[in-house]
Amino acid sequence: MNNSKTPSLWSSGEPFIWLTGGALALSLIMVAGIMLLIIYSGMGFFWPRTLHTYTLKNGKVYLAQLIEREARPKSDDKEPDTFRIKIKQANRSLQNPTDFLWIDEADIAKDELNGEAVVLERRAWGDFYGYFQEIREEGKPLAKGSAETQAVLERELPKITATFDEIYRIERYEVGGNSEEQFKINTRLRVLARDGITSGPEVDRLNDKLKKLQEEYKAQEAELASLRSSMKTEVVMRDAQGRETLMPLSNIVHYYGPNAMGFFQKIGHYFSKVGEFIFDNPRESNTEGGVWPALFGTVLMVIMMSVVVTPLGVIAAFYLREYAKQGTFVSIVRIAVNNLAGVPSIVFGVFGVGFFIYFIGGQIDSFFFSDTLPTPTFKTGGILWASLTLSLLTVPVVIVATEEGLAAIPNGMREASLALGATKFETTWRVVLPALMPSILTGLVLAVARAAGEVAPLMITGVVKLAPTLALDGSWPFLHLDRKFMHLGFHIYDVGFQSPNVDAARPMVFTTSLLLIIIVVCLNIFAISIRNRLKKKFATSAV
Amino acid sequence: METEPKTQDRTGELANPARPFVSKTLKSPASRRMVDTLARHVVTLGGVTIIASILAILFVILYEVVPLAIPAKSALKESVPALAPDAGTRLLGVDVDEYQEIATLVTTKGISFYSLKERKELPAPEIKALKGARIVSISPLGRGPFLIGTSEGKLIPVKVNYEVTFVQSVRHVEPNLVESDPIELESDEPLGPLGPLAYLDEAHQVAVAQVGPQSLAIASISIRKNMMTGKEVKEASTQTVKLPIEGEITAFAMDNRHDNIYAGTSKGQVVRVNVSDLDAPTIGLSGQVTSGPNVPVTKMVYLLGDRTVAIGDAEGNVSTWLQATGAGQTHPLLPVNRFQKHDSAVTAIAICKRNKGFVTSCANGGINLHYSTTGETLIDMGRPGQGVAALSYAPKADGILALDAAGALHLFDLHNPHPEVTLKSLFGKVQYEGYKEPEYVWQSTGGSDDFESKLSLTPLIFGTLKASFYALFFAIPIALLGALYTSQFMHPSIRDYVKPTVEIMAGLPSVVLGFIGGLWLAPAVERVAPGIFLLPITLPLTILAALLAWRALVPVGVRLKVRPGVEVLLLVPVVLVGLLAAFWLGSVVEHTALNGDYRGWLSKTLHLVYDQRNSLVVGLAMGFAVIPIIFTISEDSLSNVPKHLSAGALALGSTRWQTATRIVLPTASPGIFSAIMIGFGRAVGETMIVLMATGNTPIMDWSIFNGFRALSANIAVELPEAPEHGTLYRVLFLAALLLFIMTFIVNTIAELVRLRLRKKYRFI
Repeated sequence: MNNSKTPSLWSSGEPFIWLTGGALALSLIMVAGIMLLIIYSGMGFFWPRTLHTYTLKNGKVYLAQLIEREARPKSDDKEPDTFRIKIKQANRSLQNPTDFLWIDEADIAKDELNGEAVVLERRAWGDFYGYFQEIREEGKPLAKGSAETQAVLERELPKITATFDEIYRIERYEVGGNSEEQFKINTRLRVLARDGITSGPEVDRLNDKLKKLQEEYKAQEAELASLRSSMKTEVVMRDAQGRETLMPLSNIVHYYGPNAMGFFQKIGHYFSKVGEFIFDNPRESNTEGGVWPALFGTVLMVIMMSVVVTPLGVIAAFYLREYAKQGTFVSIVRIAVNNLAGVPSIVFGVFGVGFFIYFIGGQIDSFFFSDTLPTPTFKTGGILWASLTLSLLTVPVVIVATEEGLAAIPNGMREASLALGATKFETTWRVVLPALMPSILTGLVLAVARAAGEVAPLMITGVVKLAPTLALDGSWPFLHLDRKFMHLGFHIYDVGFQSPNVDAARPMVFTTSLLLIIIVVCLNIFAISIRNRLKKKFATSAV
Repeated sequence: METEPKTQDRTGELANPARPFVSKTLKSPASRRMVDTLARHVVTLGGVTIIASILAILFVILYEVVPLAIPAKSALKESVPALAPDAGTRLLGVDVDEYQEIATLVTTKGISFYSLKERKELPAPEIKALKGARIVSISPLGRGPFLIGTSEGKLIPVKVNYEVTFVQSVRHVEPNLVESDPIELESDEPLGPLGPLAYLDEAHQVAVAQVGPQSLAIASISIRKNMMTGKEVKEASTQTVKLPIEGEITAFAMDNRHDNIYAGTSKGQVVRVNVSDLDAPTIGLSGQVTSGPNVPVTKMVYLLGDRTVAIGDAEGNVSTWLQATGAGQTHPLLPVNRFQKHDSAVTAIAICKRNKGFVTSCANGGINLHYSTTGETLIDMGRPGQGVAALSYAPKADGILALDAAGALHLFDLHNPHPEVTLKSLFGKVQYEGYKEPEYVWQSTGGSDDFESKLSLTPLIFGTLKASFYALFFAIPIALLGALYTSQFMHPSIRDYVKPTVEIMAGLPSVVLGFIGGLWLAPAVERVAPGIFLLPITLPLTILAALLAWRALVPVGVRLKVRPGVEVLLLVPVVLVGLLAAFWLGSVVEHTALNGDYRGWLSKTLHLVYDQRNSLVVGLAMGFAVIPIIFTISEDSLSNVPKHLSAGALALGSTRWQTATRIVLPTASPGIFSAIMIGFGRAVGETMIVLMATGNTPIMDWSIFNGFRALSANIAVELPEAPEHGTLYRVLFLAALLLFIMTFIVNTIAELVRLRLRKKYRFI
């Protein structure tokens, strides 16, 4: 370049503009990068990966999925690039506790695809990769050979799955209901004994009932035992090294042969896995199976929060904007409410613990549940306290949005209504409120988006790793406010950081993150689009 | 077109006289007015209640915190004459049960029980092994079994059980005494008035007693069970140690691990006797612990945990000491704290069985309550009687029982729930047992029963500030430069897409950011760490190179077709190239300058440890949370600068950059300040990211390669485990209060600045 041009370039400030543009480009790359990372890792989780048969030069054979490939760390720059691959060999057992393995590409002698290789999803110990050998019922072979075994299995597995579901149903609902009844009766008996009543008609009646329940329980146990023993079909699997493993069908959830699948079969499999992920219960301490209870808990908690937060926020906003005398006090309150939106969520959680759980919960327990004390009913974390805490956390959002909406409604509308003889309440109810609906909705959606992604306050007010029952079910009173619940966000924290096998759980956590982000981002986009439409609407009506 | 039918509808509805605007049910004006008034009251009441309850958060948290600041209280509950000692009787010890109903009194005559509830003496238990001899000395009471030294030179292990029964829901406490086989000391000299001390467990008994003015007898008895016959075989051995001291032994103490015995002398010295090998006790260092050789040590006791020794002397001084460790020591003990002085010789020290508290008394009858760790004398409890002979700290730490020289018992109620918390222990350096020097420590739970929780908030506040510092360090430049570009130079057609994109980043749940930070970013950063430090150099250089290349290589015709304000689209690939270049250069630098292993280089050259989950990772991950906030708010304030200002500047011939930096930026600077403050507030309160992306170790170190523990993460982790209304629970509430105050102040400043800004623009 010639010399006269360079100074003019500097003084024009163009380089600085490019630098600022670079900063923006960097943040856009960051957003796009993190979204792509989550989408890629989260969506890839369900795709049936092919099973490679790796034969190493030292004669070892692995049947495994290829997870990632990376350059080996070099001690010297002059060395040629060598690569190693991470493979998932599954077949976890006591002898083989890890799923994953690194092998050097240089060590691989052969890499083949065997069409007969299958993936078994087991109820315990994760996946099993191998080949069908034989299927047996009570030790007698039903079929031999891969294709024949698969054909029989296709017939037998649904029966076993049905039995398994039946066992689950009996355990969960019948036995569960029975023990709940027994617990109630025992509590009642204890209360009576405390008051000095150890005999009499009521005690006899209760004891009779208890005896009946115990008999029922025995019958249920017997039925369970007979159901369990009815599942006698086993499949003999051969693994990559040629060892045979006997696997009861009751331990198998699904099976598929990824190498024999066509593209469309894979897509079909993909979507069935997505469905399973969303609608199934978790297995193996949340690292496998679905996230249904967490999704359900998140949604239910958010709905309960919305029911509380909407009227509270709207009334407070109406008070501040329409009814209170505008002045220094209201300005201070407004600033304080605005600032509350910036107070850390964990502080609200601490408030929830101190006020809702220990104070109000303690009061409720001592008035209504004194029989079961010292086992707490409401004086412990639960979905009610969690949603109340979150509604407190999000009420400033609703107040601010509603207030903005109130400010945007042209005064002419109110004045017209008042001039026609309507009272202030009638104006508010029939003119202002309908016009305000979109703003309230925006505020609510923003509140929901914030609440759905919030985890910290929930960790101390009632979220658990694994809730035995949903907070909403078929037994009276249907909505159990005192129950603990599961949550997608906490699920991410728990599986990603507390589970023993983080490597195996990581794809699952990415998928859960993706699900959570989809929910939150959709809610946000919904709110933004309502806001924009609202702005346009008032822009025209103000003219 | 769309709004047209709507307006028609509305006008149609209003114009139609057949459909009255007001509902038919509200015809009478009176009832309408009533509803209106009612609504006003409901909304006002509801609004005020809601707003008050939101603001009540602060008060609820304060309510839980305030008890920490309330000082300990004691009150004399009752004074009863329990004994009438004659001239020859010495009062040796007193003990009380957990309900403070029964007092056990030990005198040279024997043991007796006194019911404080019924104010009467109970039948005295018989000690069979005593056989008419007198009691000479006893080991400290209140720690389970204790030893009685007799005038015949025997040591009798005894234990007082307070059996609690409920009859018709009324509590009844019955004391009884259990004695074991006496231990015979193989010593020629009679027992002195001190000790004997005991360490007793099932298989091993160690007893130490004073025999003669300068000697201690150490008896160890091991009980072995014969596997074949099931018979117990006792093996006893006694070692007599003559201490190389002037004067005589006036007090001694032994820890329950029987590592050391410390003997205090009439010359104010302390001698260490190492007894870890009971068969060969060795005499260690000695040193002065009182103000001079004419001030004798009068009392020595190990506090709970058996690490700290409390020493009282004839001048009334009370002090605590720890064993001096390490080479080159000249004194056996390390002074820790000095407490409020008594006006006469210390006569008794009783320790608390729940915390590091202890109570001392003096010859004039004064009683003081101290707390060892904080070094504070909590209460001067007054003088209930003339000269206190023995003291007992109630097992539940809720009372003190004193026995005065005249044989009267004085029972004090004690309310002291949070003795370990003072301003100093929360925010200052404290000398804890097992630490070389005073330090800021947060360690709330430990393995053993006598674990002392260390609740210094300083490392947590430090962690919070460290996280915010690194997050803002990374986020501010990117967010502000990006906002400047978006508001000043960007073409409006792409601005409509860019702003929502960045706003979506603000909506990302922090738990997801924490997960990405901890499980993806942390290992990734570990691979390319040197490259990250090169980014601030390579990125601008790449961009400048791209600009030069753009101007030099691309024909003018093509350049002019690109509208100004869309450079950012060209820059996305450029920045990507810059990133890759930085990482590549980083690995080159690592191989050439850092010996191919930057972690090794760090620890060797800079003595820094590289943790995988460190502040760098947190800074980057939290950047995702903070960038959109700072970006959005500062972009708003930059865009809100009145257009005629910048238009004027441009018309006068300044360049786009000059207009932006000299006109727009200064005008919007309060808004940018408030954006940074709000970003800071978010960083301070962020919980999940710091919880998941750091190691959560409460260390104090500015190193970017270390983790930390933040206030917020600490609350989330520890509150579920903290017992209601316990000290930890209240300290965690205090942590929440600090967070609340920090963010509230920061946000209020930001809000006020923004309001002022808005007012200012009204007149431009």
